[in-house]
Parts: sequence; structure tokens; C-alpha cells
Amino acid sequence: MEEEMEISSSTRATESSSSDIVSRARKLLFRRMLVGIKDGRFFLGSFHCIDKQGNIILQDAVEYRNTHRSSPSPMEQRCLGLILIPSSCRTSCHVDCSIEEQLSLLKFQ
Amino acid sequence: MDWKSTEQASMERHAPNHSSSTSSSIPATENTVWADASPLLETVCEELRDGELIHGENFNLYAAMSALEIMDPKMDSGIINKYASVDEAIEDGLAPVPISLDKTVDVQCIIDIIDQLLACEATWHKGHSLAQTVFSCAYLLRPERTLSHALLDSYCKVIRATCKAVTSIVSDARTHEEEDLFTMAYGLPLNVEGDEKCLSLLNAVEENISRQLRACKALPSKRKPLEDIEPLQNNFDLEEGYCKALLCRLRFRKHFYHVLTCMRRPQGRGLELARKHIASCISELGSILNSAEFLMSNAYGTCEDGTEDRTTASGRQAIGFDANLNSRISAPTPPRSIKILSWKKAIEYFEKLLHHLDIICSYLLDPSLDVLLRFVAQFQKAQPDLVARVHLQLLLVQDGKLYGRYPILAVIIRAARLPEVIMRHDIQKNEYVVQLGQIVINMLKVLCTNAAWQRRKLGKILQDWRAIYVQLELAFRKEFGEGSSISNGENASAGILKHILIWVEEQTYWIAHRFLVLGFELELYSPSEYCMVYWYLYVVLIRLAEKTHLKMTVSDGSAKQKGKKRKDSPKDLAREARIPPAISFLQCQICLAEGLALLLAALRNELMVLQSPSPFNSEHERFIQHFELLQKACIPDLISYPSFKESTSHARLSSLVMYNYFKDAQKIAKEVKSSFLNDPDRLAELCILEQVAEHNSVALNVISRVGALDPSLKIAIAPWEAPQVYNIGLSFFSRKDDQTHFSKIKSSNSLAHRPCATRVAATFRITAAMVAAHTAVFQVAPTATVIF
Repeated sequence: MEEEMEISSSTRATESSSSDIVSRARKLLFRRMLVGIKDGRFFLGSFHCIDKQGNIILQDAVEYRNTHRSSPSPMEQRCLGLILIPSSCRTSCHVDCSIEEQLSLLKFQ
Repeated sequence: MDWKSTEQASMERHAPNHSSSTSSSIPATENTVWADASPLLETVCEELRDGELIHGENFNLYAAMSALEIMDPKMDSGIINKYASVDEAIEDGLAPVPISLDKTVDVQCIIDIIDQLLACEATWHKGHSLAQTVFSCAYLLRPERTLSHALLDSYCKVIRATCKAVTSIVSDARTHEEEDLFTMAYGLPLNVEGDEKCLSLLNAVEENISRQLRACKALPSKRKPLEDIEPLQNNFDLEEGYCKALLCRLRFRKHFYHVLTCMRRPQGRGLELARKHIASCISELGSILNSAEFLMSNAYGTCEDGTEDRTTASGRQAIGFDANLNSRISAPTPPRSIKILSWKKAIEYFEKLLHHLDIICSYLLDPSLDVLLRFVAQFQKAQPDLVARVHLQLLLVQDGKLYGRYPILAVIIRAARLPEVIMRHDIQKNEYVVQLGQIVINMLKVLCTNAAWQRRKLGKILQDWRAIYVQLELAFRKEFGEGSSISNGENASAGILKHILIWVEEQTYWIAHRFLVLGFELELYSPSEYCMVYWYLYVVLIRLAEKTHLKMTVSDGSAKQKGKKRKDSPKDLAREARIPPAISFLQCQICLAEGLALLLAALRNELMVLQSPSPFNSEHERFIQHFELLQKACIPDLISYPSFKESTSHARLSSLVMYNYFKDAQKIAKEVKSSFLNDPDRLAELCILEQVAEHNSVALNVISRVGALDPSLKIAIAPWEAPQVYNIGLSFFSRKDDQTHFSKIKSSNSLAHRPCATRVAATFRITAAMVAAHTAVFQVAPTATVIF
């Protein structure tokens, strides 16, 4: 609890920088996002929502999976629609962007 | 346990190189790259306040709730469990071909696979998806892999062909709305080239094994097989047993496939042949069952399952099955885990199915709708499963004709008791008559569905029947004017329409009657509602009898007119004076229903029993809930809750004793029995009616002697289970008796036999069987015991 309080007070204190980061994340909305999860599948969909816990909702998502666990193998895919990917099972997260944008995304610190 | 660790290992393998494999196999759009957003998102999450979300303007929390949660075992059917794909499973050795290099083990394993497939097939028929049951077998999923193994290949082929045949029958019938999972076969190899040759392949394999069987039987002493015939397996002592076990399994398949194809022949032409195959199937099932002992005693491993739950005869787990292989294919269903029926249960299921199919095949395709409707109602009493019901439906309605033979209009004309010559009349061009034909076909289809679905649909089609009646009547009036006399010879179509109108009404009441009776089968009525249900049944039965009688007199009248031209027959006149047995049968039911309605009402009025005021709804509301569909269709006219109250609120036991309905019912039943000697079903029903009437009549006398309001009486009411009759026992105890005593009697289920004659003064029986109901198994209802 105390930690949370601290975070929220610090958020208020550094409002300018936090809103900067949040607004940068906001710019990712509706972009194509590729999320990998721990059982080896990937989900590609448009970024719809994220909450404080890091759970992501993708819209019009497609599931990709390797037909074999050993890496180079053909991929199967199927459409799933609206999906929620809990942060606990997420192993990677990429967004589709141009190279210039990639640089700006990386140097947020 | 083991796979978990391998999975973890593979995930670790996967994790480091995931980004490279991602970017290579899932390309970003042109001129763009995949940028890692994890660090950004991580920071953002830290910045966000509790409950704060980042979302666009189109975000809707309610809609977001319906998102599929990934890795939730109840939502995500794609979770990679043991195998990432069928191919990987096969490479991993899930389904080796041959199963073992040791031929004895190979044969044992194949028998296990065959048994497991039978269990899976029964589970599929019972309402689970094909992908999770039969096609959980990896051998079926990769047809090319089994080609080298004749026995396994022919068996896989016949299984796929059978599944395909059953799926197509069920989807043709289109009555599987309730069981819509059944035909889902997307992504499964059901149309494999070469499967159509399954029977010839199966025959060749069967021929080979029977030769092997003969060979081993011919040489019992030498213990050395003939040179030219290679034995089935290596152990000579077991050769005969394994040959036999395989043969009955292969033959069952062959005959079952024949049953399916014969029954699909148009116009019921293959029914006779189908019966022969059904008989063979049943006998092969017996042999399969008998082979269990041999297979269990020679199992090469230990059987892990309990004997009851085992899905194979030997008790071993069959090789090549994994329920999760296809979980992604069964997408429209949540990824529920299912339990495969045990091998014994599966055999029982197939025995039941074959028995039901046999009943269908032995039906004589009677063109009379009356006979047909009684047959269907009787058939449904045995609660047949989907596959059997679908076969019945496809037999009844083919190409818009009854059995594919009789135009539906001819059937209606026969049912309305009109002479067949009318078929040539242009009445059949009347659009409402054509519509009526459609409605009749629809009704026949509905009657073949499961009880719950059937009742709902019957309630709804009642309105169609009502509407077509009104339209036919309007057409009738418009064409011939209200006052015009129909006896006029030139107005033949008016006469025909009049006949048809009467029949439509009769049929409507028949449907209403079935609707009410199905409520008993489905246990929709509580004891406190029996009074209104029996009362409604009584009013519907009255109308049904009226219309049936009218139909008979009108048609007899017109027949007599024709007969008169030739000669007067005194016999005809004598016959006319008698009430037709069909009407007496209805009258008997009417007396019982009325008697029961009034008895229940009297008990409530005088003794305050069977009043269970519900905290949720009033009696009026329950009346509407039960009979809304009938009321909407005005069946019968001018019947409503007030008329129910009016006719039951003054019911008294004393007046019931004065006019004993049960005695009347008993008398009619006794008289009319002789007319049904060649109709065993209705005779059996009449016997039950008679017994119940007699029982209740005696009980009523006892009450009248003791005095209903005698303060020393204590009344308890409880429905209980009986094989054919649905009873309510009203037992009168003296005051010193207590509740425990009553429940003791009740649990021994013997109130009907009045075990303690001194204490139980009277027992009433209420029967739903009297209204042509059911042999359904009724649960002992929760004790609706009211003690005073």
C-alpha cells in the first residue's frame, strides 16, 4: 500500500515526464502489436488497451503457433478476435513501426 | 509430470530466440520493423495509477469483458499442452506403425484401439464433439500413415466412413439444433480418398483372419501352423482367442456400416435387409463382450483403470489417443475436458441404438397418420438417442412425402377420412391446403426430436395449426357463402374443406394433448400444480374426443350416403349405434383426468393439502407459465384461469363420492378392452387405466366411509416412482402415526401395495400413463410431504 502511495505521489510530482511516457504509450494504440507468450505462441492484433498490471487487450487478434517446438517449422494460424493476454504469461511484446519511430521508442529513458 | 519438465525445457529453448524467429516468420508491414515495446510498457505500467487504463476512444469496458483470456484453461482452446501439433505428436511416437514389432503385442494393441474407438464413438453420439472423441485417435488423423498396416488401415477407413455417414444423416435431418456439436467436423479428415473402399478392404482382412482361425483350429495337436498361412501372431496358444476377438469386432463394423447404408435407401426399401444386419450387429456385440475375459487375462501390461471405467476390453490404455490433439479445431466450444464412456457403457449404448433402429425397421410404413403418430409417440417413450431419432425422421419425411411414397396431401385426405378419389380434385391447388401439407411435415419432424425440444416446438407450432384453421375456414366461407348448403352435389370442394377443417381441429388438440403429457415426462409440474394440469388435460381431451367423434360421424355419413344408393345394410345401422372404441378410449381418459382434477381440488378445498404457496409466483402466474402457448393459440377457446378456478373451487369429496368418475373410467376401460386385442400397446395402456381407476375408486369409497373431515385422520402426500405409472399416494394415518413412519413406507416404495393395511386407509394413484404418456424413469420427487 505504502509503495502504491509513493508511486502515485511520485507520479503527481513528476507529472510532466509521466504524462510524456503515458502519451507515448497512447500513441501505440491501434497499431499492430505482436505479443509472445510462454507456451511459444504469438498473437498479432491491434493494441486496444493496457492496465496498470500490464494485461494487454488486442483486437482482431490472430494466433500463430509453431507446429513443432524446435524452432524452424511451419506456422499455423487462426483468428481469435478480442483477446486478453495476462502479463503473467507474456514473454515479449513488439509494435509495428518505422525505423525512426523505433529509435524514439527506444530512447524514452 | 514428465511432459511439464520437457515443456519448460522447450520454453527456455524458445525464449532467447523468440524475437528472431518472430521477425523472420511474422513480417511487419512494408518499410517497418518490429520494435520491442516491452521496456516502454513496463515503465508505463509503473507510472499508471491503480485502475487506470490506456485505451482508445472506442474502448468499452463491457465489451472488453468478453475478451478471450489467453492461457485460461476454460477459455483458451489453443494452449499448447503435450504436443504442439499432430505431426509433432506422431514424431514423438504417439502413434507408431506398426504398433509393436512383436506381432502378439501388435494385435493386442490394435484390439485396444478398436475398443477405445467404440467408446469414443458412443461418447460422440451422446453429444460430444467428433474432434474430441473419435478423432482423438492419431491414426485416424493421418490416413496415409496406416496404409502399410492392412488391419489397422481397413479399420480406420471404416470408422471414418461410418462417422461420415452418421454425420451426413444427422445434418440431413436438420433436427439437431439441441445437439449442434454433433456435426461439427471442420478440419477433420472425413472425406479421405479410398475410404469408400473400406468394406472391400475390411472383407479381405476378415477373410484372412478367418483363414488363420481355421488354420489354428485344424492343427490343435501339432502346434505348428500350416506353412502357407502366416499366423495372426506368434503365440500359438492365443491364436484362436485373438482371431475370434478381432473377427467379431471387424464384423460388427461391417454390419453396422451396412445398417446405415440400408436404412438410407429411399422409401424404406432397405429396411428388411437392415434388420438382418442389425441382428448380426447385436450378435457380434455379444461376442465382443464375451471376448473381454480372454483379453483381460492375457493383457501384457498392468491395467491401471478400475474395471468399471476402463475404455477397452483388456483394461489397458489404448495407444495413439490424445484428447488434446484437436482442441484447437473444436473452436466453437469452450475447451472443456470430456470423459469418454467406459467400454461396457459403449456396448450398452450400441445395443440400445440397434434395438431402436430395429423398432424403426420393423415399422410397416402404414399410410394412416393415426397409426404413425401412435407409433412415434410409443417409440419416443424409450427415450431414443439422436442417431435413432434422426433415422426415424428421415424415414418419415422423404422428398416432401410420407416415407417418400405417399404425397402428404393424400395422407391428410386419408386422415380426414375422405375418399381417395378426391386426390384428383383441384382442392390440392388451394394455397392453404398446400400450406397445411407443410405444417404436417413440420409436425412429423418435430415429433422426432428430443422430449424437451419437442415440447417447446409443439407449443409453438400450435399457433400455425390455429392460423391455418382460421385461414381455411375463411377460404371456405368466402368460396361458398355462409348460408349455402353443402349437401349440394356440385359443392364437392366445400364438403372436402369441411372434412379437412374438422381434421385440422382434431389434430390441433392431439398436439395440445401431447404437449401437456410431455410436461409429465420432463417433470415440469410440481404436485401442487397437478390439479390445474389434469384439469387442462381434461378440457383438451374433451375437445379431442368431440372432434374425433365429429370426424367419424361426418365421414360415416358421407359413406352411408353412397352406400344407400346401392343397398341399405342393417349391420351398418347397428354399428353406428355403438360408440367407436377410439372414442371410448378417450372417454376413459377424460373420466380419469376429470376425476383426478376434482379430487385434487377437493383435497385442497377441504383438507388444505397440496397447497404450496410459492414465494415467487401466484397460482395464476403458474397457470400462465404452464399453458401460455396453449392460451395464445386459443386451445381450447374460452378457457382461462378464471374458468379453471370456477370449475374447481366448489369441488368437494362428498360430491366426488356421489359421482364417481373413477368407477366410470374403470367401466369403460373394461368394456373397450376387447376392441384393442390386436393393439398390444393400447391394450397395455388400457390395463393401466383400469387398474388406476379401480384403485382410486376404492380409495374414494374408503374416505367416504371414514369421513374426510374425521379429525383422527392425518394426511400425507408424496409422489413416488413406479415403472410405468406416475403416482401420488395419499395416505391416511391415524393421529398417533408420525412422519418417520410415513417416510419408511415411502422409501420402501410400496404404498401401492398397502403394506400396513390397518394404517394406510387409502391410496390414490394418479397416472400420466393414462394419457398415453411414458415409460420414462421418474425420480422420486423431493418429498412434497404435507402433514396435518
